[in-house]
Amino acid sequence: MVTTDRRMNAITLDNILPLVFLKRTDIQSDIWRRQVTLERGNTYLVEAASGTGKSSLCSFIIGYRNDFDGTIRFDNRDSLELRPGEWTELRQRHISMLFQELRLFPELTAMENIEIKNTLTRFKEKKEIGQWFEALGIADKMQSPIRLMSFGQQQRVALIRALCQPFDFLLADEPISHLDDACSAQMAAIMQEEARRQGAAIVVTSIGKHLPLSYDNTFRL
Amino acid sequence: MRLVWKLLRRHISLPQLAGFFFANLLGMLIVMLSLQFYLDVKPVLSEEDGLIRPDFLILNKRISALNTIGLNSAGTFSERELEELRSQPFAKRVGTFTSSQYKVGCSFGLEGVAQIGTEMFFESVPDAFVDVDMQKWHFSPGDAFVPIILPRTYLAIYNFGFAQSQNLPKLSEGIVGMVDMTVSMRGNGMNEYMKARVVGFSSRLNTILVPEDFIRWSNARYAPDADTSPTRIILEVTNPADDDILSYLNAHGYEQEVDKLDAGRITFFLRITASIVMAVGLLISLLSFYILMLSIYLLVEKNSEKMRTLLLIGYSPARVALPYQLLTSGMNAAILLLATAALCVSRAFYMQKLLAVFPQMSGGSLLCALAVGCSLFAFVSIVNIIMIRHRINRIWQNKD
Repeated sequence: MVTTDRRMNAITLDNILPLVFLKRTDIQSDIWRRQVTLERGNTYLVEAASGTGKSSLCSFIIGYRNDFDGTIRFDNRDSLELRPGEWTELRQRHISMLFQELRLFPELTAMENIEIKNTLTRFKEKKEIGQWFEALGIADKMQSPIRLMSFGQQQRVALIRALCQPFDFLLADEPISHLDDACSAQMAAIMQEEARRQGAAIVVTSIGKHLPLSYDNTFRL
Repeated sequence: MRLVWKLLRRHISLPQLAGFFFANLLGMLIVMLSLQFYLDVKPVLSEEDGLIRPDFLILNKRISALNTIGLNSAGTFSERELEELRSQPFAKRVGTFTSSQYKVGCSFGLEGVAQIGTEMFFESVPDAFVDVDMQKWHFSPGDAFVPIILPRTYLAIYNFGFAQSQNLPKLSEGIVGMVDMTVSMRGNGMNEYMKARVVGFSSRLNTILVPEDFIRWSNARYAPDADTSPTRIILEVTNPADDDILSYLNAHGYEQEVDKLDAGRITFFLRITASIVMAVGLLISLLSFYILMLSIYLLVEKNSEKMRTLLLIGYSPARVALPYQLLTSGMNAAILLLATAALCVSRAFYMQKLLAVFPQMSGGSLLCALAVGCSLFAFVSIVNIIMIRHRINRIWQNKD
């Protein structure tokens, strides 16, 4: 098991705005052009309508894109100053991301998609991963190629992959868009349990259906 | 790593990689083989004459029809002419050739091979002009052996002309040195035999050379009354390229014995040819390397989304680049090994052919060609590694 010696306590979004919105004057948002601090241990919901930059926000935080104005700080470190090695460390140990587009590998099986992450972090035992497959109702799909699974099933696999690493912040970009209520509740329970165990924050984005969690704070994007 | 490889091996184009593999193999083999061939053959062509130094000139008087019908002096150098030559500023030392004035016969045989005999003659120059171990180049009356230096062409005539047609074994210089020859000397009412042994070969002296002491002793013994005026002289000069030498020789009707300049010319052409072939090999290697880079770029392009995801879930750029770096380096290493093996096989083949013609040939070492092969391998692999990493970095920076 990998234990992180130094935790990340806060992500600060300081006056940020996607560059494509720079010329817009009608922006009404709790995040764009505001000072927002996300703290470890809390649960946040980012509500958004389509086209308000929800996935852009996630991309900015995970370092996939940097076409924004303003500053994102991890504790006191400016995200634009991070070197590739530091981003790797951050993605392995501090911020885990459940992508809206899932980013699973279609040529691998469900289990291999998990293993490709877990062999990197060596964070979870096979047994615990098996229990998650069981709890999420896809135990029989473990060895199925991911491309043959439904999007809802793939969402569950993507969640398990996101949990196979130490993290201080779990970013879930529309995690339940294709899941029924029972499944969403099960997913919420697993996420909350793992976040509690790690003392981590959960940041969920949603355009409609909310992951049923008790949120400390809700932002409208 | 297994899973990453499973992901990234998708879209690998076997025909493209095979194309690179064989093209680069061919290129590397050509480079190594041309260099090795040059190194193997060069010593045979540019064999330096260790016995006679290059700043020694061998002179004789021009032979004309008048000499032949006896109306001119017999082409010998008079004492006055020698004195004049000695006083020239370019002359460091002057020595004369002294020839045997009696009949000489020689025979030798290898075990189981018919005896070969011939009439011949001896000549000598002052010992100071001969660069041989003085222990070997020495004679005093009563010695069992006469040391002899033969012209290298004699061995060539034997090996390529005589031995070939008579199905006799070809002889290397080393073997000839171990054969005892029997020399017969007739004159002054005597007919005596001695053993002789070849102690060296010369490319520059067209004569059968023996120590000066031996000539003096044998001429006195077998031809006491003969005239021993020299017909050839050996001259040590300060600078062989001095123009004054040539004009002096022309003015006095002296001729310089032609050196083996041809060997230098052939070596030059060999070097040019080897360079051209090597350049062609390098060009093939370079083009194949270009194919490989295009192929890898295409591969990275096709798999870029997967690589981006790997980076986003926490893989470092180095780790994502590793499979392709290992793939290319592994292929380059295999190419180096195969090229080396092919080099050894080809070399064994041509050395066998060459040794049949040049028995004394020893061949250069493989080290130089191997070093060039390894350098080519290192260069191609390092550039591969850097360029693959560069592409992954571009994916990291979202530029592709």
